[in-house]
Amino acid sequence: MYLLFFGMVLVISLIILLLPYETVYVQDEAYLDTFLIVIVASVIVFFLGTLYNVLLWMEGKGLVGTPEGRLLRLLPRILKFVLSRRFGRILSVFLKDALYLSKLKGRSVLRWATHLLVLGGFAAMFLLDLLVTFSLDFLKYQPMIEDGGWAKLWIRDFGFELVGFMMLVGLTMATVRRFIFKPKILRTELPDATSILFLLAVVLGGFILEGMGIAGRIPGHQANHAYSFFGYALSQLMPGSVGQYYDQAWLVHGVVSALLIAYIPFSKLFHMIATPIAIEADKMLPTGVR
Amino acid sequence: MIAKKLDISKLDVLALMRYDACTRCGECTSTCPTGGEAQDIELVTPRGKILRLREFYKAQYGLKARLLGPKQISEDQLKELSSRAYECTICGQCKTVCPAHLDTIEMWENMREFLVANGLAPLPAHESIIKSIENYGNPWMQPRTQRSRWSKKIEKEVKIKDAAKEKCEVLFFVGCTAAYDPNIRNMALDTARVLGKANIDFGTLGNDEGCCGSTLLRTGLLEPARELALKNIEMFEKASPSVIVTSCAGCYKTIRQDYPKVGKVNARVVHITQFVNELIDSGRLKLEKRVDGIVTFHDPCHLGRHNLLYDEPRKILQSIPGIKVVEMERNRAEARCCGAGGGVKTAFPDLAQKISLLRVEDAEKAGAEILTTSCPFCYQSLKTSIDAKGSKLKMMDLMELVRQSCSP
Repeated sequence: MYLLFFGMVLVISLIILLLPYETVYVQDEAYLDTFLIVIVASVIVFFLGTLYNVLLWMEGKGLVGTPEGRLLRLLPRILKFVLSRRFGRILSVFLKDALYLSKLKGRSVLRWATHLLVLGGFAAMFLLDLLVTFSLDFLKYQPMIEDGGWAKLWIRDFGFELVGFMMLVGLTMATVRRFIFKPKILRTELPDATSILFLLAVVLGGFILEGMGIAGRIPGHQANHAYSFFGYALSQLMPGSVGQYYDQAWLVHGVVSALLIAYIPFSKLFHMIATPIAIEADKMLPTGVR
Repeated sequence: MIAKKLDISKLDVLALMRYDACTRCGECTSTCPTGGEAQDIELVTPRGKILRLREFYKAQYGLKARLLGPKQISEDQLKELSSRAYECTICGQCKTVCPAHLDTIEMWENMREFLVANGLAPLPAHESIIKSIENYGNPWMQPRTQRSRWSKKIEKEVKIKDAAKEKCEVLFFVGCTAAYDPNIRNMALDTARVLGKANIDFGTLGNDEGCCGSTLLRTGLLEPARELALKNIEMFEKASPSVIVTSCAGCYKTIRQDYPKVGKVNARVVHITQFVNELIDSGRLKLEKRVDGIVTFHDPCHLGRHNLLYDEPRKILQSIPGIKVVEMERNRAEARCCGAGGGVKTAFPDLAQKISLLRVEDAEKAGAEILTTSCPFCYQSLKTSIDAKGSKLKMMDLMELVRQSCSP
C-alpha cells in the first residue's frame, strides 16, 4: 500500500520538478528553485496528512485487517464503482449536493452564495491551473504564451482574475459574517480563523502580485490590462518601483499558497475532501460497513 | 497518564469520515431541540458532540498523538461527553438541516454504541429499563403474561387471532408501550378495532411478542438488541404473515430498518398509517361518520425524518369527514421533536417536558383543538405536557379518530 502511495507521490513530485517553467514571470531562478522545493514538500505533506486521515477512518468497525490492508482492499471496489454506470448518476447527485450545495441554498441564499463563491472559485482556479500548466509546459501553446494571445488574455488574465475575484468576494462575505456580525450559530476558534485568513492571504496576495506586475511593467503584464481588472485597479495605487520586488512577492505568494496546500489535511479545510467522500461513501462501501 | 484509552474500533468507518466532514457551520445548533432550543449548551448540539469526540480520539490516535504520544483525557471529561450525548433525542432534525448531508441519526446511534463499548454508557437512569427488558421482555417491568391483556376488552367485538398458532394475513405488532401502559392501551384497542372494521384477517403474537429492541438500540446496546431481534424474527417466520403492521413508530423503524441487519424479515413491514391509508384507497375501510374538530398532526421523528412518512397520516386525516386539518409552523421534515425519544424522557424528564411544552405551544399557535400523532411515545409525552400546561388541546391518537369515523 505504502509502495503504491509513495510511487504516486514521487510521480507527482517529479512532474512538478521536471516541468520547464519557461513562461514563469520570475526573473531570478533562485526564487523559482526555492518555490519548487517548498511546493514539493507541501504536496508530500498534503498527501501524507490525507493518507493519515484516511487510515484513521479505516480503524473503524465493519472491516477486517489492518487499516492499510482495509484501504487497499477497498481501492478495487472504489475503482469498480467509478467505472460503473451508477457512478454517472451519482456524479450528478454529487455535483448538486457537494459542489452546488443545494441544501444550503434552501436554508440561506446568502450563506449559499458565500460558500459557492469560495468553493466554486477554488475549484475553478485548480482546474485553470491544470489547464494553463498543461498548455504552457506540455503543449507550448503560443496563444497562451504571447502577451496579446487570446488564451493569455481570456484564460491566464481574465480567467484567473475572475475566479480569484469570486473567492475574494466570498471570503470577504464570510469574514464580515464571522468577525463582524458574529451570528450565534458560528463558533470562531483558532482553526476557523486560521483557515479563512490563510485563504484570504493567498487570494489577496495573488491580486497584489498581479498589481505589482502591471505597475512594474514586468514581462507578461503589459497588454490589455482590462482583462486583469482587479489587479489593474490595484496597480493604480502602486508606484512603478514595486516591480523591483516582484520576485520576492512572487515567492511569498507561492510559498503561502504551497503552505495552504500542506495545511489542508490538518485543518477544517479537510472537509473539502471528507464531505464529498462521506456523501458518496454510503453507496461505495460494502454492506456491513454501514 | 491517560485516564482512558478510547477504543475507536467501535466507531463506524462512515462515522469517522463524517466527523471529518463536519464543516463546523453550526446550522444544526439552532434547531437542535435539546442542545439549541431547550438549553443552549454547545456540547449537547450535534456540532458540539462531533467536535468534542473528534478532539478526544484525535488526541489519542491523530498524527500528533502518534508522533508525540497520546494526550490525557480525564474520566470526568469523558463522562461529561457521555452524559451530553444522551441528552439527544436522536430526532434527526440535524440530519435535515446539515448542508454537508451527514447522516447524523446513524452517527448518534453509533456514538452511543461506542460509549457503551468504552464503558462510558449507558447512563444509570437507563439501567432499570435495560434490566426490565432483559427480565420481562418489556421496558415497563410488567410480567410477560400480561402483554396481551389489553385485547380482552374487545375479544367479543373484534376477532384477533393468535398468530403463533393460527395463520393470518396480517400480523399486528402491538409494541410494549401500547400493550402495557394503561394510558396508551387505547392505541392498541383502536388499531385492532380499525383492522376489524376493514375485515382484515389479523392476529398478534400475544404474550410471545417480545420488545422490538428499539430502546436498547437507541441507547447503544447492540448485542442484547440483536438477541431480541433474532427472537422476534423467528416468531415472524413461524407466523409467516404477508404483512407486519406496527402502530408504534419506534417499533416500525426498528423492524423495518434495523432487523434486516440481523436477519431476513420476509413479510412487508408497514406502519398503521400506511396500512390504513391503503385500506381507505382500496375502499376496504370507509370513513363515513363526521368527527368535528380542528386537528393538527405531530410528525413522530421515527416516522417522519427517520422513514420519510409524511403524507399518509395527513391523507387519512383529510379522509375523515368533518375534520379541518391545520399545520403547525414546523411540520414534516422540520417538525419539532416531542422530546421523549433517545432515552431522554427516562434520563432527563425535565428536559423532555421542556421540549414537549414547546411542541404543545406550536399546536396551540396553529389554532388546533386536537393534537394527534401516530406514536405511543409522542402521545405520552405530549399528553403529559398538555395536562401540565392546562392547555385546552385534546390529545388523540390518529387511530382513535379513524375508529370514531368508521364506527356505526
